[in-house]
Formats: sequence, C-alpha cells, structure tokens
Amino acid sequence: MAKNLLIGLFHEATPTADTLAQLRELGIPDDCVTVMSGIPYRPEWLGRPPVRGRVPMFALIGAGLGLVTAFVLTWGLWLLYPLNQGGQGITPVPPTLIILFEVTMLGTMWAAFVGLLLENRFPIFKSQLYDPRITEGHIGVLAEVDAELADKAEAILKANGAHHLQRVEEKYPLFARPGNLLDRLKARVTTLFGPDLLQRPFWLVVAVGIVVLLAVGAFIPYGIFPVAIPTQMEHQVSIGFQQGPRLAAPAAAVPVQGPVLIAGQPASTPYPATADSLQRGKVLYDLTCVVCHGASGDGNGRLSGFFVPKPADLTSARTQAFSDSQIFLVITQGFGAMPSLAENLDVQNRWDVINYVRSLKK
Amino acid sequence: MSERKTDQAFWRRPAIADETEAHQIEDVRQQHLLLDPRYPLDSDRDVLDPMYRSSKRYWFFFALFAGLVLMMFTTWTVQMWLGLGITGLKRPTMWALYIVNFVYFIGIGHAGTFISAALRVLKVEWRRPISRAAELVTVFGLMTAALFPLIHLGRTWKFYWLIPYPNERQLWPSFHSPLLWDLTAITTYLSCSILFAYISLLPDLAMARDHTSGWRHILYSVLALGWRGTEREWSNHETALNIFSYAIIPVMFSVHTIVSWDFAMAIQPGWHSTIFGPYFVVGALFSGAGAVIIALTIIRKAMRLQYFLRTEHLEGMAKLMLLLSFAWDYFYFNDVLVPWYGQAPVEKSLFALFASGRVAPLFYLMIFANAIVPVTLVFKRVRTSIVGLFIVSLFIQIGMYIERFLIVPVGLGQNEIPFAWGVYVPYLPESLISIGAFGLVIFLFFLISRFFPLIPSWEVYEGQVLQGLRRIGRAILPTRAEPD
Ligand code: HEC
Repeated sequence: MAKNLLIGLFHEATPTADTLAQLRELGIPDDCVTVMSGIPYRPEWLGRPPVRGRVPMFALIGAGLGLVTAFVLTWGLWLLYPLNQGGQGITPVPPTLIILFEVTMLGTMWAAFVGLLLENRFPIFKSQLYDPRITEGHIGVLAEVDAELADKAEAILKANGAHHLQRVEEKYPLFARPGNLLDRLKARVTTLFGPDLLQRPFWLVVAVGIVVLLAVGAFIPYGIFPVAIPTQMEHQVSIGFQQGPRLAAPAAAVPVQGPVLIAGQPASTPYPATADSLQRGKVLYDLTCVVCHGASGDGNGRLSGFFVPKPADLTSARTQAFSDSQIFLVITQGFGAMPSLAENLDVQNRWDVINYVRSLKK
Repeated sequence: MSERKTDQAFWRRPAIADETEAHQIEDVRQQHLLLDPRYPLDSDRDVLDPMYRSSKRYWFFFALFAGLVLMMFTTWTVQMWLGLGITGLKRPTMWALYIVNFVYFIGIGHAGTFISAALRVLKVEWRRPISRAAELVTVFGLMTAALFPLIHLGRTWKFYWLIPYPNERQLWPSFHSPLLWDLTAITTYLSCSILFAYISLLPDLAMARDHTSGWRHILYSVLALGWRGTEREWSNHETALNIFSYAIIPVMFSVHTIVSWDFAMAIQPGWHSTIFGPYFVVGALFSGAGAVIIALTIIRKAMRLQYFLRTEHLEGMAKLMLLLSFAWDYFYFNDVLVPWYGQAPVEKSLFALFASGRVAPLFYLMIFANAIVPVTLVFKRVRTSIVGLFIVSLFIQIGMYIERFLIVPVGLGQNEIPFAWGVYVPYLPESLISIGAFGLVIFLFFLISRFFPLIPSWEVYEGQVLQGLRRIGRAILPTRAEPD
C-alpha cells in the first residue's frame, strides 16, 4: 500500500496538540506520527503518549559491566599475578572500592551515551524528512498516512494553521514497522548504501579507525606487525659487569677502604684553618653534626640517646688522632650508625667542618 | 463552535495597553534573560555570528596564545631531550610546579560540572546560558591537567606503564597506589565530561547545521548525528542528561578527593591529613567558579553575547563564589588548627615558615586573595560589576595557585628529617611550561569559539518557554512552570 508523508509546521503548541488529536480521530495510529521541535516539548503537553526509552537500562547494564571490569582489574589480575606490596595483602578492600566506584561510573555513563545513540538510531546520515525551520522555533508535525487518508490529513493540518505543508510519496517505510525482519533489514540496507552523501564516508572512516586501533592496540605490541620503535639504546654506552679497563677515580674521590692516603689525595685539609673557614665550619657543624655530637662535640647531642654505640666524642684524643682524610671519609661515607652527610656538605664544606672539629680539641 | 483559548508562541510579546504596566514588564525583561524571549532565529544569529566573524583583535590574541602553546610544547620537547635535570626538581622536592599545575587545572575543571550538573539537578535557572562555557572550562582544564603527569614523568614515552595491559613481565599497575586511582578517576571524569558536553551540544549542532552552508554544514551534519528534535530524541536526550548529571557529581567529588589523597596518603607533615579530601574539593570548586567567571566575562565582551550573559548570571556565580570562599576559610582553618594544636616539631616549623619565614609573603597574599578579597562580594555593587567580578576572580586564581604551591613544594621541602630539608625554586623550563599551560586553556577556548556555539541556546529557549509573569499587588514578578 502506498504511503504518503506529510509535514507541516506550527508556531504554537495548542494548534499542534489539536492537530495531533484530530489525526488520531482520523484513524492514524500514534506511532505513525511524530512531532519535531527545537525545544524539548514534553509529549504530554501535546497530548501524546509518553516515550518509553531504554537509556536507563543501558546505563544499568553499563554499571554492571564496569563493576565486573573493575573486579577483574583489581582482584582478578592480582590473584592471578600476585605481588605482595605495601603490607596490604593481595586484595585489600579500601583501595578496591575506589577503583570499583570509578570504573562503575565510567561504565554507567559510557553506556548511557551508547544507549542514547542506539535508542535514537544515531548516527543518521541519510536524508530524512525534516525542515530546517524547526530549529528556529517552529513545531513540525510529521505523519505517515495511507494514500486514501492523505487528503483528509492534509486538510486537518491546514485547518489548524500549519504553514509550509509538504507531501511526499514514500518509497521505504519511515518508521520501523512491526512487519517481518526482512523488510526492516531492507530499510536498514538502504540507509547504509543509499545514495546519500555522508553515509558512506562516515562508515568508511569508522571502519578504518577500528582497523587502525586494532593494529595499534594488538598487532604491534605483540609483534604481529613488527615495528622497529626507536629506543636510542644503540647510542648509549654499554659496559658489562666488571668489564675493564678500570676508569680513573674522579678528582674529588676518597677511597672507601684501604689506605686513606693515596696518591694525589691530600693527607690533611687543603684549606688552612683561617678565621673564615672556622666560622663557616661552626655554622655547618651546628646544622649537620650538632643533633648527634652535641654543641661541644662531646657526643651528647639531643639524638645521642638513640644510638648504640653513642656518637663518638669528637674532642677525645682518639678522634683527634684521626687524620683529616679519615674524618673526611667518615663524613662522606658515614660510619656505623652515622649516616653519610655527603649530600648536606660539599667538599669544601667538609674541610671547613674538619677545621672546626680540630678546634674542639680539649 | 466556540473559540478555544490557544497559547502564544513563547517569543511573541503581547501588547500591553496600560503604560505603567508596560514599563514594569520592560524592566523585568531587561533583568531576566528568560523573560526576554526573542524569535529564536535572532538569538541563533547572535550565537552563530561570532563564529565566522573574527576581528583583527581576535587574531592578535589567537597568535599570542598559540605562541604560548608553542613555547610550552617546545620547552617540553627540550626537557624530554635533556631530561628532568634541567628543572629545579631535586631532593627532597621531587614534586613541584608540575604537580601544582596538575592540581590547579583539575581544580578549575570542577566548577563546570557543578554548574551544569548540580545546578541542573537542583533546577537553578540562571545556569542555563552559562552551562556550556562552564563545561568547556571543565574539559579544557582537565585536558591541560592531564598533560602534567606526562610532563612530570620526564620519560614521557613510558606513560603506558600506568595503563593496565598484558605485558611480557606480567606486572600490573598497582591499584594499592593513589597514582592509579588518579588515572582511573581522571579517565572517568575527562571522558564523561566530554560526553556530557557533547550530549548537551547535540541540539545546538543541529541548529548550527540548519543555519550554515559549505564545509561548516558538512561538519555540523556529521557531528549532529542526524538530530531532528523528535519526541523520542528529546525524551532520550533528557534521560541521558539526567543520568549523566547524577552520575558525574559523585565522580567530580571523587576526583579532587583522590588528587588530595596523592598527598594525604604520604606520612609527610602538612600532607597527612584526614580533612584533605573535602578541603581540596572545596578549593577546586572555589577556583573553578572564579575561572568560569573569567571565561564568561571575556566571552561576553569579545563575542558580544550581552543578550545571553546578563548581570543576573554573573551575580549568581558571584554568590556561589562567596559561599565557596567561606567554605574554603572553614576547611583551611580546620586543616591548620588541628596540627597547630598538636605542636609536632616539624609541623611547628612549617607554621613558622608560613607565618614569618621565607614564604610568608606568599602565605599572606594567599589569605588576602582567598579569604579577604571575596568578602567584597557581599556588596551588590561588586557582585553586579563585571570589572569588579573579574578582578575578584583573578585574585582567587592567584590565591588558589599559591595555596597549591605552599602545599606541594614548600610542604615537601620540610620533611621529618631536618637535615634533608630543601628549598625549591622554579627554574625556567617549568616556569615556561606553566605559563604555556594557561595559554593552552585560553587557546583552546579561542579555537572552540570558532567551531561550536558557546551558548546552549536550546536550554535558554526551554527556560523561556517555562517562564512567565505574575502580578502581586503593585509588582510584576517572574514565575516559573516546572515540568515533571
Ligand atoms: C645522625 C647522627 C649523627 C650525625 C648528624 C653525625 N654523626 Fe658522627 N657519629 C654518629 C654516631 C652514632 C657515631 C658512632 C658510630 C659508631 O661508632 O658506630 C659517629 C661517629 C663519628 C666519628 C667517629 C668515627 C670513628 O671512626 O669512630 C666522627 C669523626 C664523626 N662521627 C664526625 C661527625 C661529623 C664531623 C659530623 C657532622 C658533619 C657528624 N659526625 C654528624 C652519629 C652522627
């Protein structure tokens, strides 16, 4: 049976509602009529049956999928590949809750978006019956009517003051009929491969995008398409374990063990104990050593109680008998419970402190 | 047959015989956008026209901000090449300006959601014309913020180690770590904010499609996905927006809470605080509201959108900001009072540093900008002055940036081991990148303003349909119909 498509534009909501009521009286079922507007008029304002969308259902399914994904990412993977850390056990609950929440929300919202697209059959790029004036504030009534009713329907639209009335013969049904699947598929196929301008390029881009994503996401990392990703490793010097020749020590280096005095290493401080050096030494000593060794150097600093053995008495004959380089070594490397202070004192600072330590001699 | 009473199209203004009444109505219209409807085509033109008319001044600023963006990316490239050593990062302050920027830009991203989602749920009408701009502040703020962990990585190309994917060593990102929480939260927030903005953009894209030709027409046809505004489309659209609004609000709260946990989970004096979550969220909303006001005032002037963006909208934002300023004071006081009462030595030293140490000027500037300047908003004069609001918002941005600076590198420099204390000073690379980041957000705005309508016109028309006037005694007052 041939169908006719009618579209008419209205300015106001009341005549639109009247038209819709009269079309129904004429025997045109509600699902063959739709209203288009640039403003969200609620169906009940126009006396139309409410729309039952399934977007919330999509959102719920998405939430479920998100929850499952989050469980896989947290507990699933960590039970499969256990790696104990942080003293929290393999599957601690509190951090899991955080991931569960975020991924569930991600699933909910993405699914709601997908639901919106599917429920509205978006994207539609085939030409549809539409009038650009609708986004100017007009309300459009679109009806699909049997040919014999078309004249009457048109008269109703006109009587209620519709302007820009249009009537089109329809080749394919506009609304998905409860008819058989083949018919509906045919309608789909025309939308996919029809003569419309954008439909084909769009899906082409989508298809290419999916292939590229697959290639990047799976094929390249797994070496299915081996791609030589530059790592710059070949520019780096590569030295094997214990490979010779041995490099010379840097100028300021101090030996860790063995004789303290080696060639080129000053046995005593290269900086004379001038007033300046002593003053600097005192300041630095008060910053870095005093907490342990005490202000007078007797080893009774505030923290000394925490150390066994106690910090050395720097005024004692034993310590004072050390060579300068030996004290330098202690500061640089640390000794026993004493930490290395190399980061706090640069080389000259260390010699200044040593000058000051010397001045503490009883 | 008796004449039935029919409604008037919402943009028609009935002629009023009584002259005083006409004046009164005109007055109310001047104040309220939603009571001042026009034929939608005229409004549409106002929204669309600035998109294709770019003045010389536009191109000047465009070039300026594009230059800043270029500077940012060049510096970043240089830093990748030479390594993080060229920045001021060194022990103990391995987190510094990049992390400050990260927190700051995520922060300004919070107001967008708050305005378009929370105010939507609460049916606050003045949100209508400003929600798009606010959403864009969110999206651009988050995009910029998301760059900073990458910049901060140094070896940016290793970023994929954060993503859970099967690898040959069978190691997975540890979800015990706040950094992974960050990744999930920001992925969720950023992608869903983009979708949210896009959904509410759909009807406007259709509007743009119907009023343009050439390449723009093709672009908008593709992006509008075939939107016609049928009942089914609108109804699903409404449902989807509602789901997003309710879902994205808790996500918004979670995001800045998790950012605060990046700090609070460490036993670092000044960081290890249970109140950090809500304190950060409030700070984020506060700076975000300021950022939205700045964006609105500039858009309003530059794109001649005075019809849509009126004093009432800016005043609404100003009130929100005032409230958030008080909330920030409250949380900051809490965050300081409790450790101060404890008198732990390191925390004491931190307070001394703030009160009279080397960062005291910054500290007092922060207090002035965040707690004192916004108090001027109690005066209607300031609330309704565009320049005044702009200045207050600018102060808030400065204050909130300093707040983050005081927390991140200054706090980190003062740890439990006094001999490992350190002073952080930003070096040139991170300074240039930070300046560039501000340029990037503005540049994105400049770019987007030529492509997408910055006013959600369908939301405005919907509001106009639902608004009406009512006489009470001598006054004529706006009233609102509420569907649902
Ligand atoms: C954290 C506390 C601490 C600090 C700070 C500290 N020391 Fe010590 N120092 C110790 C302790 C503990 C010992 C004893 C170690 C042992 O006998 O095992 C020690 C021992 C020494 C010794 C004797 C080493 C030996 O061979 O017996 C010297 C010399 C010394 N410290 C110098 C210094 C100087 C100079 C500074 C400042 C630059 C300094 N220390 C800072 C804790 C400290």
